[in-house]
Amino acid sequence: MAEYRKVATVSDIPDGGMKTYRLDHDQIVICHSGGRFYAIVDECSHDAAPISTGHLRDHEIVCPRHGARFDITSGTVTAPPAVAPIDTFEVKVEGEDIFVRLD
Amino acid sequence: MADTTRHQKQDLSTLNTDYAVKYGFRDPVDYFHKGAKGINHEVVEMISQMKKEPKWMRDIRHEALDIFFSKPMPEWGNTKLLGEIDFDDIYYFMKPIENQQQSWDDVPEYIKRTFDKLGIPEAEKNFLGGVSAQYESEVVYHSLKEELRQQGILFLDMDSGLREQPEIVRKYFGTVIPATDNKFAALNTAVWSGGSFIYVPPGVDAKIPLQAYFRINAENMGQFERTLIIADKGSRVHYIEGCTAPIYSTDSLHSAVVELLALDDSYIRYTTIQNWSRNIYNLVTKRASAYKNATVEWVDGNLGSRLTMKYPCIQLLGEGARGETLSVAFAGVDQHQDAGAKVIHVAPNTSSRITSKSISKDNGRASYRGLVKVHKNAVNVKVSVQCDALLIGEEARSDTYPTMEIDNEQVKIEHEARVSKVAEEQLFYLTSRGLTEDEARLLIVNGFMEPFTKELPLEYAVELNRLIELEMEGSIG
Amino acid sequence: MDNDMNTDNANSEYKIPDMAPELMRGPQWLQEKRTLARDAFNSSPLPRRGLHLWRYTDPNRFMVDRASVVDSAYTEDYDAVEKVELRHLEQGRLSGLVTDLGGREINRYGVEKLAEQGILVTSLSEAVGKYKVLVEPYLYRLVNSATGKFEALNGALWNDGIFIYVPRGKSVAKPLHLLREAGRENSAQFPRLLIVVDQGSELTVIDEYGGGSHKMEKGLSYANSAVEIFGMAGSRIRYVNLQRQTSAMNSYLTHRAMLERDANMLTIILAFGGLLNKQNFGAILSGQNAESNMFGLTFGSGHQHFDCHTLQHHAAGQTLSNIDHKVVLRDKARSAYTGLIKIEKNARTCEAYQENRNLLLNKGTRAETIPELEILNEDVRCSHGATIGPIDPMEVFYLSSRGIPYDDAVRMVVGGFVEKTLKQVPDDLRERLRQFVNTRLEKI
Repeated sequence: MAEYRKVATVSDIPDGGMKTYRLDHDQIVICHSGGRFYAIVDECSHDAAPISTGHLRDHEIVCPRHGARFDITSGTVTAPPAVAPIDTFEVKVEGEDIFVRLD
Repeated sequence: MADTTRHQKQDLSTLNTDYAVKYGFRDPVDYFHKGAKGINHEVVEMISQMKKEPKWMRDIRHEALDIFFSKPMPEWGNTKLLGEIDFDDIYYFMKPIENQQQSWDDVPEYIKRTFDKLGIPEAEKNFLGGVSAQYESEVVYHSLKEELRQQGILFLDMDSGLREQPEIVRKYFGTVIPATDNKFAALNTAVWSGGSFIYVPPGVDAKIPLQAYFRINAENMGQFERTLIIADKGSRVHYIEGCTAPIYSTDSLHSAVVELLALDDSYIRYTTIQNWSRNIYNLVTKRASAYKNATVEWVDGNLGSRLTMKYPCIQLLGEGARGETLSVAFAGVDQHQDAGAKVIHVAPNTSSRITSKSISKDNGRASYRGLVKVHKNAVNVKVSVQCDALLIGEEARSDTYPTMEIDNEQVKIEHEARVSKVAEEQLFYLTSRGLTEDEARLLIVNGFMEPFTKELPLEYAVELNRLIELEMEGSIG
Repeated sequence: MDNDMNTDNANSEYKIPDMAPELMRGPQWLQEKRTLARDAFNSSPLPRRGLHLWRYTDPNRFMVDRASVVDSAYTEDYDAVEKVELRHLEQGRLSGLVTDLGGREINRYGVEKLAEQGILVTSLSEAVGKYKVLVEPYLYRLVNSATGKFEALNGALWNDGIFIYVPRGKSVAKPLHLLREAGRENSAQFPRLLIVVDQGSELTVIDEYGGGSHKMEKGLSYANSAVEIFGMAGSRIRYVNLQRQTSAMNSYLTHRAMLERDANMLTIILAFGGLLNKQNFGAILSGQNAESNMFGLTFGSGHQHFDCHTLQHHAAGQTLSNIDHKVVLRDKARSAYTGLIKIEKNARTCEAYQENRNLLLNKGTRAETIPELEILNEDVRCSHGATIGPIDPMEVFYLSSRGIPYDDAVRMVVGGFVEKTLKQVPDDLRERLRQFVNTRLEKI
């Protein structure tokens, strides 16, 4: 049985926004886009620093330092200079609570 | 063929006429008189209009300019020298006509002396001294062009490349180095002019090295060159730019961007000998993407400029890809060579090697900055890095800043660096065999650089050796 | 960092309040220094990510809100450890034992004999009054607000610490053992250590850090430590730093040693414990012929994250430094190592060597290594090397084919890897260190 941990509440993150959270041993960023929530590791695969200080463009997260972009649904790279994907986490929303699946 | 020649000659002859008359944009004469320095959207618009670029390229330029304005200057590296760059005191557009022609008298003494000692012929001297806008090698250039044309190889200056092959350019431009990458890549993307465009079709081996030397256009050795090389599947190409003779330029900021794409099974070797005059800030972004079983080699020699910041990078994106960087830096009086290499392993079964040799003399400073990054899924990766630094003289300085970020355990990563002065024992051994101390030191330095010089085409190697000799004698700078 | 579901008490907005009780501890001169440190901490920004000292570690995780943590009781294991060390003392294997419970309670054992020779082993709270003339010139000189924001935090809030002074020409034959015990969940401690070894004297210190929270869900514990060591001309110091804190502890430590002419220092870094363990060790060779040797062993398992920085700063001629840092990681552990060797312009004829070897035992581990050199004098012999790779499968196969279970075989190969370092450690310390290593290896 997969374990889910409540990490945030829906009202914490407006649509088009994102916030960083510590999930046990991982730093993750929860994104709110198009009415849905996504969770992705808060570390750019290009320079190993946080992406949560960037911004969201539809389904892409844009890293503030060098413009790398990642698809928040899959973690794949959509713009250089990043060349490797980053991990995503399964998210489920129950009422006002956002749960992230622990791996 | 004769037609082409005439066409070329015609193009070049218009260099000395009023651009406004030829291209007819609004009030350029007025613009020139107002002072042609500084960068803004108007200037970018004029550059693009003058080149008659498609809208998509113009948009890329404008967007890049905004990115340039939004980015801060780097906080690492030689921030003191970087701080001396005055972006408003630079010509990004055509210089006012009065300034275009220099006289031989304006060329600095040490450059003239070097030309003499290196035995550079008169015509070449004019070109390298920035006195004339073209190199009298048309005959050589044209027979070369014919050979390439038969193989289907495209070798053009970047402006022509964009004009004649817009689809190819649009497909690859900015995919290896986006404008957001760093402040200087953004600047280059906004105001680029000149540089090389090379496309090698699948399976073709461009047997002779393609040399930037032989591109003829006004923007040769320009400040903001943009180079794009695509080696299609299974092809091979060797490109050489720069030359050992010092190149004089009044433009103090040189910021080039070089993007290489080595598609599956291809091979690209890119050789650079940089010897800009000592007033120049040379800030370059060079990066290659190597796909499945492809090989990319950077052979990078840094001799000139006041400050060079350049870290050729290879991204190993396809399985079996291989990368090698061989870098040499000579930092003499008042110089700072801040060079290095980066390799990013994304795909499994990839390997890379970095060899860096630097020499600091007088109060020169040579820095090695490197990155070896192995991503999570890159299993079975081998990387070897060797950095050696030689210090000559009490004021010399050497730095090594290598970074290794390894996210996969099935790897073999090795890094080694050594710093020393010319060894007393070696000197003694040589002088006791009849060499003077200067001769002995030169021999040791040549031996130190040998892994690099043996990779150069012969005429470059010969010139490089002579140049090092002059540097060691102290007759330069 | 706004997560109320968070079990760490990190608060990126934390500022030390004006009337924090720690600021009043000690005589006037000390209070003034604490206040200056408080101001520096409050006004300095968080270190920026991307600069490599903080590239791999989030500084927010050390921004503990002092108001939201407690000085809690120590762990159950502590009593057992203390008993063991008391026995060592009785059996003459130690010159003295000092226990430091979360910086609140400092107890000393067996130091009377040392006191007879003028060798002082006291709490800092006692020393800043009674031995002001010995302490004031040195305290805060090497680790202070200029070093960084978190050093300023310790500078303001350290509660009590340890002071060791060895006068001229004395030799402390057996090690002095310092047992620092961190509190349980939601505790924070700010240990501080000042060691001054006068001309020609000798001292060995084992600085052991244990304790901490066992249950992440209940809350993490924190430590922010400062260590300052002064080795006068001709002194010989051996300093062992053993970090074996629990798996739910975030620990930050800055160490600086200043070595004068002909001084010789051996630093042994054993980074075994903690969840997030950031350490910064530095030796400043300020006098001719000074020598600094550092050996580091990092063992990471589970989700441990180690970030170690070493500095060998040659500010005088004919000095020698050497670092051998070995890292072994398994599970999802991670290690970042940055080592800087700096040779100043006036430092002629120096030698500096550095080696960093990383052994990654399985997929999921991460290692970063940045060995750096800044050389401003040509008359130097300097080299460094770094390797990263897996355990040699052949070596493990050889052992397991002889009936040794896989885990034991791995342990033996790792033991062999580590043995190369242990062989270079002085005889009288080796057994003790091997004990520490073996205890840790059992969990590898």
